[in-house]
Amino acid sequence: MAEATIRSAAASRPGPLLRDLLGLGLIALGGLAGYLLFPDNLAFLTRLISVALLVLSLDLIVGYCGIASLGQAALYGAGAYTAGIACLNGVTEPFLLVLIGAAAGAMTGLLMGAVMLRAHGLPQLVLSIALVQLLHEAANKASWLTGGSDGLSGMVPAPLFGVFEFDLWGRSAYLFGLGLLLVVFAVLRLVVRSPFGMLCRGLKEDPLRISALGIYAFPVLLKMFVISGAVAGTGGALAAIATQVVGLDSVSFELSANALVMLVLGGIGHLYGALVGTVIFMALEHVVAAANPFHWMTLVGAVLIAIVLFAPRGLSGSLDQLAGLLTRQGGRAGR
Amino acid sequence: MNGTSFGRLLRSGALALAGTLAAWSGAASADTIKVGIIGPFSGPFALQGKNFQAGAEAWLAQNGKSVAGHDIELVYRDLPTANPQQARALAQELIVKDKVQYLGGVYFTPDAMAITPLLKQGNVPLVIFNAATSAIMTSSPLVVRTSFTTAQTASPLGKATVDRGIKKFVSVVTDYGPGVDAEGAFKKAVTAAGGEVVESIRMPLNTTEFSPIMQRIRDAGAQGVFAFLPSGPPTLGFVKSFSDTGLKQAGVKLFATGDLTQESDLPALGEAASGMVTSFHYAVSHDSEINKRFVAAAEKAIGAPDLLSFPAVGAYDGLFVIAKMIAATGGKQDAEKAVEAVKGLAWESPRGPVKIDPETRHLTQTIYLREVAKDAQGRWINKEIASFPDQGDPGLAK
Repeated sequence: MAEATIRSAAASRPGPLLRDLLGLGLIALGGLAGYLLFPDNLAFLTRLISVALLVLSLDLIVGYCGIASLGQAALYGAGAYTAGIACLNGVTEPFLLVLIGAAAGAMTGLLMGAVMLRAHGLPQLVLSIALVQLLHEAANKASWLTGGSDGLSGMVPAPLFGVFEFDLWGRSAYLFGLGLLLVVFAVLRLVVRSPFGMLCRGLKEDPLRISALGIYAFPVLLKMFVISGAVAGTGGALAAIATQVVGLDSVSFELSANALVMLVLGGIGHLYGALVGTVIFMALEHVVAAANPFHWMTLVGAVLIAIVLFAPRGLSGSLDQLAGLLTRQGGRAGR
Repeated sequence: MNGTSFGRLLRSGALALAGTLAAWSGAASADTIKVGIIGPFSGPFALQGKNFQAGAEAWLAQNGKSVAGHDIELVYRDLPTANPQQARALAQELIVKDKVQYLGGVYFTPDAMAITPLLKQGNVPLVIFNAATSAIMTSSPLVVRTSFTTAQTASPLGKATVDRGIKKFVSVVTDYGPGVDAEGAFKKAVTAAGGEVVESIRMPLNTTEFSPIMQRIRDAGAQGVFAFLPSGPPTLGFVKSFSDTGLKQAGVKLFATGDLTQESDLPALGEAASGMVTSFHYAVSHDSEINKRFVAAAEKAIGAPDLLSFPAVGAYDGLFVIAKMIAATGGKQDAEKAVEAVKGLAWESPRGPVKIDPETRHLTQTIYLREVAKDAQGRWINKEIASFPDQGDPGLAK
């Protein structure tokens, strides 16, 4: 049904679909450029993709539903741990592992959404922190299953398509990740433009009006939570497959907060913003930490403050504005 | 401080740029051997990382930056807290991108465990400067360790405590590899000596508030407490809390591995730690000529004498081992040959005589029983009161 709507929407307004195809093309091009330009950095770039999936998933609930969350890593970690545990127990096919991770993320999203949607505003934010801390502690306590503080290691995913191994140089892991990102991104573009996506945005802008239309918000938002969980879980599973280690860090408050920082940096409420923010934040951190491992945090902090001060709508928001100025179509169309 | 750090940043940035340019032009000098050092250089454990750096630089200052005609270049990478995933990513990048021939450092066990699976594929040996779980050595044949294991440092404590007339113990450890090792080793040793451990408490790695733990110790009604936590802010908090909650005044004796009374914490602990008995492989105040020279060089490298602590000696000896490896392989990348060359290697370290056990690739060394006391100048030190020579790692000889 969603597809039909998309098609009709596309027929009446060819712009957005073309834009999406262009966007996907740009992401693919950027990804391949990364592969060719930084052949020695693929492990980092794969991690970047995995975190980008987490930030995308956060954008779905923050940017499209207006639900503040500082606990998104719970979904990411659920995917990572479940994929890792499955891999240790003999399920080594990477595509299957990603599906398992996505399913685990979706399940956790369902639970987390069910709890978080009971509250609004700040209490909701507090609930999200509490949930990620609870899960973190559970993963720590259940060390027979998760490895606790020592981390979960020793998984050996089967080669991709039975040929390309996940090795030290990380070529197959990166291309696998890039493929996943493209698929997820394409699906998410469809989701956020579907009537369901519009409804979510409506709930964010004016919940009273939507409820006056006779629509009950809870199941709609819960559905978005499940989708968001699947996306975050995919990212977690990718990390588990690529690094073959899962640590408590992947269900931490810190990672959740970082994801939110990246999202704000890139711009909330456009999927592109999530990607831009992740790339800028992680690349900055990576380069500065390598250049000066002793005082890098100070410099990263300073740059972040500068970006937030000078580009309050996020980097992609500023880019949109710039594009709007250039094409005279107005920045509003970009939202 | 900001001015200098910024200057250093600029300089290192320029260096990094120059390095990249050199690599691009394909003219990277073949005679520089890179050693990647992973440690906590920022964040709460930054002091331990600084000690890695001080130890390594002290060795270079004393022995020169080149070995058998090959220059050594240290590449530092920051890993602020235990984070296996990040550890693996850093090691991977050091091997693939920076083309290091040797990996060193590693403060936390989980990080070491995440790195070891890469060594064979990368043809790189790992010399561990700290991470103290016995089992790391079995995870790859390319690992050599120049620090200690918690089983090694905790075992001699068992008999020593019972000899002091204390029989009933509570053991309190951090709930991860080294903690579990320490708990097991102490229990075994204390039971063999005729004492008993009535309760074993395990705390999460990120615990910072210890009052509830102290209450459980009080409730258990033991005469003595055995504790292990990884050195850093947690140990400082733990020892302070033990004193502040009145357990020390109530006559409960606290015994621990030397992690809890590292020298850099002693000025802050002061009276709270006074009289505490610990067992460890190294005290900064160890009385030997070679240690005096080491301490002088390391203090110069770290900047302030108060900051020097045990990770420095692990790094110092680690560089010694890496230099031997470079000499043995003639500067060529051959991890297996490098590790083979140092098996059985014996030398005089600042901590005393040490030897790399050819079987376990771990150090056989003297473990000292020490008491926190003031020296002649009124500074708090770990005063050595007994020594147990030639201690291997009991954690592996199950």
